[in-house]
Amino acid sequence: MTIHKLEVLVENEPGVLARVAGLFARRTYNIDSLVVGPTENPKISKMIIEVSVEGHSLEQVIAQLDKLINVIRIEEILEGAISNTKHDTQPDYQN
Amino acid sequence: MAHVPTANGTAMTGATSLVKSLEAANVDVMFGIPGGAILPAYDPIYDSTIRHILVRHEQGAGHAATGYAQVTGRAGVCIATSGPGATNLVTPLADAAMDSVAVVAITGQVPSVAIGTDAFQEADIRGITMPFTKHNFLVTNPNEIPRVIAEAFHIATSGRPGPVLVDIAKDALQMQTTFNWPTSINLAGYKPQIQPNQSAINDAASLIAQSAKPVFYVGGGVIKANASRELLELAQLLGAPVVTTLMARGAFPDSHPLHMGMPGMHGTVAAVTALQKADLLITLGARFDDRVTGKLSSFAQNAKVIHADIDPAEIGKNRYADVAVIGDLRETIKALIPALSAALSKGRVDLSPWMESVNKLKSTYPLGYDTPADGALSPQFVIERLGKICGPDTIFAAGVGQHQMWASQFISYEKPRTWLNSGGAGTMGYAVPAAMGAQVGAPDTTVWAIDGDGCFQMTNQELVTCALNNIPIKVAIINNESLGMVRQWQTLFYDSRYSNTSLESKRIPNFPMLAQAMGCVGLSCDSPADVDATIEKAMSINDQPVVVDFRVHRDAMVWPMVAAGTSNDEIMIARATAPDWDSQEL
Repeated sequence: MTIHKLEVLVENEPGVLARVAGLFARRTYNIDSLVVGPTENPKISKMIIEVSVEGHSLEQVIAQLDKLINVIRIEEILEGAISNTKHDTQPDYQN
Repeated sequence: MAHVPTANGTAMTGATSLVKSLEAANVDVMFGIPGGAILPAYDPIYDSTIRHILVRHEQGAGHAATGYAQVTGRAGVCIATSGPGATNLVTPLADAAMDSVAVVAITGQVPSVAIGTDAFQEADIRGITMPFTKHNFLVTNPNEIPRVIAEAFHIATSGRPGPVLVDIAKDALQMQTTFNWPTSINLAGYKPQIQPNQSAINDAASLIAQSAKPVFYVGGGVIKANASRELLELAQLLGAPVVTTLMARGAFPDSHPLHMGMPGMHGTVAAVTALQKADLLITLGARFDDRVTGKLSSFAQNAKVIHADIDPAEIGKNRYADVAVIGDLRETIKALIPALSAALSKGRVDLSPWMESVNKLKSTYPLGYDTPADGALSPQFVIERLGKICGPDTIFAAGVGQHQMWASQFISYEKPRTWLNSGGAGTMGYAVPAAMGAQVGAPDTTVWAIDGDGCFQMTNQELVTCALNNIPIKVAIINNESLGMVRQWQTLFYDSRYSNTSLESKRIPNFPMLAQAMGCVGLSCDSPADVDATIEKAMSINDQPVVVDFRVHRDAMVWPMVAAGTSNDEIMIARATAPDWDSQEL
């Protein structure tokens, strides 16, 4: 298992944290850490979520998160990298 | 959205604004029950052009909205009060989520100052329904009502359809507001991709053209996208076998020579084996459900996969996709047809050996059933005759269990939106209210519910609603006095120990009398010789709902069968009987 750090921009509305946390729980993904804070736009909040999953599951986490209507954008933060990776939804696992 | 309602800019209560919003969203009918928190909305409903059908249980309202949506392709609407009214909608909303059905549920909530205080009839319905609504809203400000209703219908019906719940606090319904229907919808986090990527289309086309054993694996998405005509053209262009899942029955004509039947746990030998032996699955709006794949690691092991779906999260969820095409399926197939034509013109693999193999399976292992030696009625015979006598324009809605599988197997579906069932959730009790909603959506079409005696006893109260509201559905109860599918598993996997599956429903209740008590015509039939005449009698009654108690023998089993958790290669055509693989070349 690898820890992946996701930066998730969400609409600043009541219940959004519950939607995100509930999604992780019901799809049996474990959250290692979670930080929520404001952005310069008061309508948008930023979540930093650390999750331990393998490659394919990470793509599923991102794809399922992206289905939440209040989730605007998801990026994986790669430590030490110059630019972050915006994920598409095609998994890279082999069966 | 371009249409501006005449009420725009008018002062009114939140409740009137809700009803004006529903009218602006072109709602023509809704199913519901009033109660305390939603009561303000029922006053303007009294004056509205929208037909409100007063059901007998909120679960009935939810499934009726689903049946309406599945038949019309429009959003179905249900409405309930707070607390238990809202929680009774939970099962149909979960059902609609699993089968991707556009349903908008409106619920009353306790006044905003009382939320969170365990007030009378308070339930956190937004929290409860988060896992199985596409989205949900809690409205406490009346000014937000038009925007939220517009967004709810947009979300429910666009992209991958699904249920949306709008919970509105009672004081928001009572307060004054100004009605303003939005001119546009802008959801920053929701922009479903409609047009497929052209390079993905080209990759898919060239993979198809190179393939020697392709199969069209067709799911319910084809029906949702209204893409049946395009699918027919694509399938005929390639000349490859087609399988239609439980949710896709009718998406491709059963009578077509390329159709191999339904895949999965109770699929045909030809459909299951075609997928297992394929070198390419052309997956259109299907989701590799466990009931289709069997043991996933042994599913279609030699096949590459093209996966076309409007929901990016389905790609690679259960099975790796070699080519992913995200987009509306109708647009996808329309783009695929010229791309495949071009690819095939450069070189074409001879598919005739493959077609010969699958056609041999189709002719060697047709669906069939044994007729009981004692002259008792076969459930499969009843269902087969229903399909033959009523014809391909009839809409059939099934419950869940053996009768559902037989209804998917022994009726020939030729058109989309003529087969309704609870596929993903497997909701017993779906049939009667879903048939009610279907009949409201298609008033000039014959609608039959095919139900089990177990399922029927869960939701039959909606026949009262049907009788009182001129909704003349017909119900065939396949009465084997058992929870038949569970009993079948007990026969096969629990040493015939029939723990709590005997319903004794040939004694109690008396279904024809129950039907009559609810204002329906009640008929019964227990002999094969009377089946046709009984169906014709039911077909001749159009001013009242009809319930027919078909008293069938209880030991009939659904075959073929792939036992849960095993490989599709282990398909059985009868108890302890596998197909004769040695005589097949694939």
